[in-house]
Amino acid sequence: MLKIDNLKAGIEGLEILKGINLSVKKGEVHAIMGPNGSGKSTLSSVIAGNDNYEVNSGSITFEDEDLLDLDPDQRAHRGVFLSFQYPVEIPGISVSNFIKAAITEKRKVLGLEPITAKDLLGKMKEKMDLLDMQKGYLSRNMNEGFSGGEKKRNEIFQMAMLEPKLAILDETDSGLDIDALRVVANGVNKLKNSENATIVITHYQRLLDYIIPDYVHVLHNGRIVKSGGKELAHELEKKGYDWITKEADKKWG
Amino acid sequence: MGLIENIKEYQHNFAGNSNREKAYLSFLNKGFPTTKNEEWKFSSLKKIISHDFTIEEKGLKLSKEEIDHYSLNFKHQILFINGTLTSKPNINGVRINKYVDDSPIFNSAFSALNAACSNIGYEINVDPNTIIEEPIEILFLTKNSSNNFIQYRNKIVIGENAQIKIVEGIKNLSDKYCFTNMHTNIKLDKSSNIEFNKLQNNTNSQITIDETNLTQEKNSNSTVNTLLFGGMFTRNNLNFAQNGERCESNMNGVVILDENEFGDNHTYMDHKNANCESNELYKGIYLGKSKGVFNGKIMVQPDAQKINAFQANNNLLISDNASINSKPQLEIYADDVKCSHGCTIGQLDENALFYMNTRGIRKEDARAILTFAFASEALEKISINKIQDLAKKLIAEKLKVDLSF
Ligand SMILES: Nc1ncnc2c1ncn2[C@@H]1O[C@H](COP(=O)(O)OP(=O)(O)OP(=O)(O)O)[C@@H](O)[C@H]1O
Ligand SMILES: [Mg+2]
Repeated sequence: MLKIDNLKAGIEGLEILKGINLSVKKGEVHAIMGPNGSGKSTLSSVIAGNDNYEVNSGSITFEDEDLLDLDPDQRAHRGVFLSFQYPVEIPGISVSNFIKAAITEKRKVLGLEPITAKDLLGKMKEKMDLLDMQKGYLSRNMNEGFSGGEKKRNEIFQMAMLEPKLAILDETDSGLDIDALRVVANGVNKLKNSENATIVITHYQRLLDYIIPDYVHVLHNGRIVKSGGKELAHELEKKGYDWITKEADKKWG
Repeated sequence: MGLIENIKEYQHNFAGNSNREKAYLSFLNKGFPTTKNEEWKFSSLKKIISHDFTIEEKGLKLSKEEIDHYSLNFKHQILFINGTLTSKPNINGVRINKYVDDSPIFNSAFSALNAACSNIGYEINVDPNTIIEEPIEILFLTKNSSNNFIQYRNKIVIGENAQIKIVEGIKNLSDKYCFTNMHTNIKLDKSSNIEFNKLQNNTNSQITIDETNLTQEKNSNSTVNTLLFGGMFTRNNLNFAQNGERCESNMNGVVILDENEFGDNHTYMDHKNANCESNELYKGIYLGKSKGVFNGKIMVQPDAQKINAFQANNNLLISDNASINSKPQLEIYADDVKCSHGCTIGQLDENALFYMNTRGIRKEDARAILTFAFASEALEKISINKIQDLAKKLIAEKLKVDLSF
């Protein structure tokens, strides 16, 4: 589904991603871990299409299409979704109108009939129940004045509404309380099926107890320096990153 | 030749009327304002007045379809076609008449010129205690065969405890220039109330100078909403004077201009009495090569204690070639006063645009949604739903998106 080949990207001459290779197949869950500043959010931004970052070499293909050729909205229409580490406040537009605009546009591009107000509301209600959200959310302005946890839940709510093929969850767990973490993780699990894939970026094993990864990757200094199964996350929790990063630094300097 | 010569040739039309001649001399003395005049520093008329204009051209016939097309279909309608008052509503407690005023009262070159040679206008008298919920639509349509210089002079007098709402629009149906010099005096008696909505979605051949003066007696409440959505050149002078205590004056504006359009909002709030309030909120959105000017002056006279005056002018420059000059001016001669003002000039938030893009919302639509959100605070002040809906539609059109906000 997603294939990243020797991706090098950065900002204003600073190289942040120094050759990323990653392959994600339908139905898989990949976890990306790694120290602060290692490039996890940069990688997700580049996949989503943030043009603040320059791609210097390498490629990203999504379902046999060159993703780098597409604008962020086109990537979204193909089924790419990014849950932001820091969701943005959009003043003056309610959650429900925002989601309506997103869904309307996607359906238009895909040549589907517009969704009726009734169907849309029904779907919103269903997904809000799934994520244990209060109805009041819908009329609030998008992320404006939301608490950290509310913002994260709102990200997953949008994911539930947009039903992406590839969801990248950038530290969705940070900011969520213990109960919210369980609710949101269960929500993500319910949305999972054999046709879609998830990349979970996290610092903590806790989330991976709920969303069980098929693969765990360690990103360090712009490179994936170690990959393994779900047991790698347990090992990292116990031993930290030192043992991996030291070795990597020896190799790449 | 140019406009000033055209006016000189027209002079014989009011010869012998001493008030008009006085006004005319005052105009000649002042001349059209140039950018050397501080109040016109960024608003150049030079090119416009170098064209020739017919003064009050008779105009071409308008079809019923044309009239219907521009009508907003309010129940009460005052209609001017090519400067002729063609219809007016019958409303209990409201007297509406053709108005010709030659009193030599003027404070600027344009108001002097208006006093000298305007022959067109309406007068609305609202009897005390009359409350008119349904807005009165006032529509000025012109269709001219040459460049036309047309001047309206209007008066609204609202009796004690009376309330009205007005929606005003002008429309030039030809591609020749129509230069409108509009002058409207509004007097609010004690405890009366007006909401005046100016819909200026003008065409590229429309040039407008508007002066609206409101004088308010004790306990009265006035609101002027200006929706400046287009026009080659628009200069609005909006002046409020509070002659009694406990008056409230509100002015809200949404400006959205594109291409080479120019829009200038000059407001003057004169707090002459104690315990009064004023609120001013102008939102400006500039696309293309459009230019905007905002100049908001608040005067608090020595006896005007316990005044609450608020002013904000927020601007969005959507294109690199657009510009805005914003100047708040406060003159405060009383000591027990709450005054706040703020002016901002910014661009759309790139992070917000990217966030919306990642949700599948196209760049153009994301921009439009954020722009609309920016304007909505001022739009929400309009109490007439039909005007709000129309404004939303016009903003979507202006931003070239197929969205319903
Ligand atoms: N817009 C930017 N301008 C300058 N530097 C940037 C920018 N974006 C990222 N960087 C730098 O690139 C490096 C990687 O940042 P990134 O946000 O991708 O890290 P991360 O792995 O997500 O970290 P965290 O775990 O703290 O979220 C950091 O050193 C960061 O300072
Ligand atoms: Mg990060």
